[in-house]
Amino acid sequence: MEGLFFNAQNGYIEGVVRGYRNALLTSQNYGNLTQCETIDDVKLQLGPAYGDFLASLPPNPSTSALANKTTEKLVAEFRYLQSNATGTLSKFMDYLTYGYMIDNVALLITGTLHERDTRELLERCHPLGWFETMPVLCVATNIEELYNSVLIETPLAPYFKGSLSHQDLDELNIEIIRNTLYKNYLEDFHWWVNNTPGIQGSPTADVMNEVLEFEADRRSINITLNSFGTELSKQDRRKLYPNFGRLHPEGTLMLSRAEDVEGVRIAVDGITEYKNFFDQTGMGQSGGGVGNMSGGAGGESKSLEDMFYQKEMEISKLAFTRQFTHAVVYAWIKLREQEIRNITWISECIAQNQKERIGNYISVF
Amino acid sequence: MSGQREAVFPTRQSLGMMKSKLKGAQTGHDLLKRKSEALTKRFREITRRIDEAKRKMGRVMQIASFALAEVTYAAGSDISYQIIESVKSARFRVRTRQENVSGVFLPQFESFQEEGSNDFGLTGLGKGGQQVQRCRETYARAVETLVELASLQTAFVILDEVIKVVNRRVNAIEHVIIPRTENTIKYINAELDEMDREEFYRLKKVSGKKERDAAAADAERAKESRRGSDKENEGQRTNDVLGEQNDEDVIF
Amino acid sequence: MAAPASEYKDRQFLAVIGDEDSVTGLLLAGVGHVTEPPDSQKNFLVVDGKTENSTIEAAFDNFTQNRKDIAILLINQHIAERIRYRVDAYSAAFPSLLEIPSKDHPYDPEKDSVLKRVRRLFGE
Repeated sequence: MEGLFFNAQNGYIEGVVRGYRNALLTSQNYGNLTQCETIDDVKLQLGPAYGDFLASLPPNPSTSALANKTTEKLVAEFRYLQSNATGTLSKFMDYLTYGYMIDNVALLITGTLHERDTRELLERCHPLGWFETMPVLCVATNIEELYNSVLIETPLAPYFKGSLSHQDLDELNIEIIRNTLYKNYLEDFHWWVNNTPGIQGSPTADVMNEVLEFEADRRSINITLNSFGTELSKQDRRKLYPNFGRLHPEGTLMLSRAEDVEGVRIAVDGITEYKNFFDQTGMGQSGGGVGNMSGGAGGESKSLEDMFYQKEMEISKLAFTRQFTHAVVYAWIKLREQEIRNITWISECIAQNQKERIGNYISVF
Repeated sequence: MSGQREAVFPTRQSLGMMKSKLKGAQTGHDLLKRKSEALTKRFREITRRIDEAKRKMGRVMQIASFALAEVTYAAGSDISYQIIESVKSARFRVRTRQENVSGVFLPQFESFQEEGSNDFGLTGLGKGGQQVQRCRETYARAVETLVELASLQTAFVILDEVIKVVNRRVNAIEHVIIPRTENTIKYINAELDEMDREEFYRLKKVSGKKERDAAAADAERAKESRRGSDKENEGQRTNDVLGEQNDEDVIF
Repeated sequence: MAAPASEYKDRQFLAVIGDEDSVTGLLLAGVGHVTEPPDSQKNFLVVDGKTENSTIEAAFDNFTQNRKDIAILLINQHIAERIRYRVDAYSAAFPSLLEIPSKDHPYDPEKDSVLKRVRRLFGE
């Protein structure tokens, strides 16, 4: 049923996105990139895919400049899609930008807290998280003003409401604010996907549920792992876990009680995939190996973060096997972001002469 | 320079003073020379180590910035601003010790971690936190290398300065003080000799004159006595004339 | 020739003048320090393309002359290059001045003030 009118409304955009997806770099391209000797070579290799966007770069550009330009292309394409989107797709794409908005708002809050000139911060904001009232945030000079008159005007207002007061902004670590917002955002997005007419029960809901649940679990696990040895208490930590996902509720409950990596491993034992991640990164070996506590990173092999990225990419890749769904836009953005990260990583390896680790990128095509 | 000498009166006392000064200068010169050699040896060692350390630093810093690239990769967003703004109190500090190298105090920086404050514990909480912590460790190690290098370099700067001063002193003693003292001694000796000769000549002159005077006096006396015997007779004649008056004058 | 104890005993911080990446990394290591308000002073300066040379010089002077709590000043070599004459003229022992490489500018021993002095001394 849902396929009947999908193309009438969103067919064009889906087509464009699928076109974009085909332009993503393949393993072959990455293979070529890793053979490059200089950043200029990389630039040359990226020519077909990025074309004009790299043209203005000076010879031998810095890796960050390269990353900026590649991001610019992503933003330009996203803007194009956004301006053509209607109805639920338009709302869906708004939701996609909220994640970036949270980062931007966190940045601006940090600036305001330290009484910096927030205007120069606008340049540092992620362009995808740009919203119209954002420059207004710079007008606020103190946190109370920011909260009362400015933040409530932003699309993020619902995420602040009820969980954060303006005193919290002042007192809580910005990371906690950011993660609280993100949790609220994920829950809201999840709710929207499952309760909006036209979306609920559609392939979009199928894919997005999987994606969002994975994202929620990933955040829960990461927050737990990263909070060891910090002042973040277990109660506060628990508040940052999103209230859905495959780990919810038993897993998150166990996570909230975990005191070390081993505890996390036991918490995720129920989900085979996550258990495999832990096993593969060498973090899950029971028997009290000494290496277990070495900060969580799995040595020179793939880290847990890498595994999560890999999984995310696979989910995104699979999203393209579905028809009539908004989720392809999400998948495309994620794939594209990973591509930018890969390019940055490869050029970083080349620039820093660290060729032995150049293969650490993630390629799914 | 050879003409320079100190403004002293050429006396035997100042000669003695100059001689002991010369001796002092020579001993001082020897000692300073030895010190300078010891310092230079140390200095060369330090410069060699600086050279090595600077090269090592290049590598270490590269690894560290690579770790930062890993963070950017994992965190997916720019964390620098947040880190720059969330700085409160230094965890990584240095304290300074001194090491004594032949009388010169060389500072040694020693790094230590202030306990209990971690401004970045929560950075990357949702994403990339493990990389952030790893990067922190890598950079902490890199900074330790930098601190080591800074010690060497400060030692280099101080030693450089000290060696310059010592060498300046050695050279001053060798090329100014010793020649000048020697000149002064030569001058005093010459003056004293001159004075000796003058004195001798004067004495000679005086004695010559005295002799001449004595001879003249003798001759006079001889003439006188010769003439006297003639005059005696005359005198007696006069005496005779004034004989009575002579007798009256009895004042003894 | 012993430096008086007052010269160094309070010096326990490192100062940084560098590009954003270098500063971020060094701050991660925990060298950053912001003094208590009201006159809170930072011991680091982030230099980007827009930073004026005069700002760098002011920070350089501040770290080397005014502040008595800085033991080591780290400066990116390519930034030192911009105020090279000041760096070359600097000869005090405290704080110790160290030129460090940055991510985009690998270390070049030829430009280092101290190494230049080394070479001059040995007549190379």
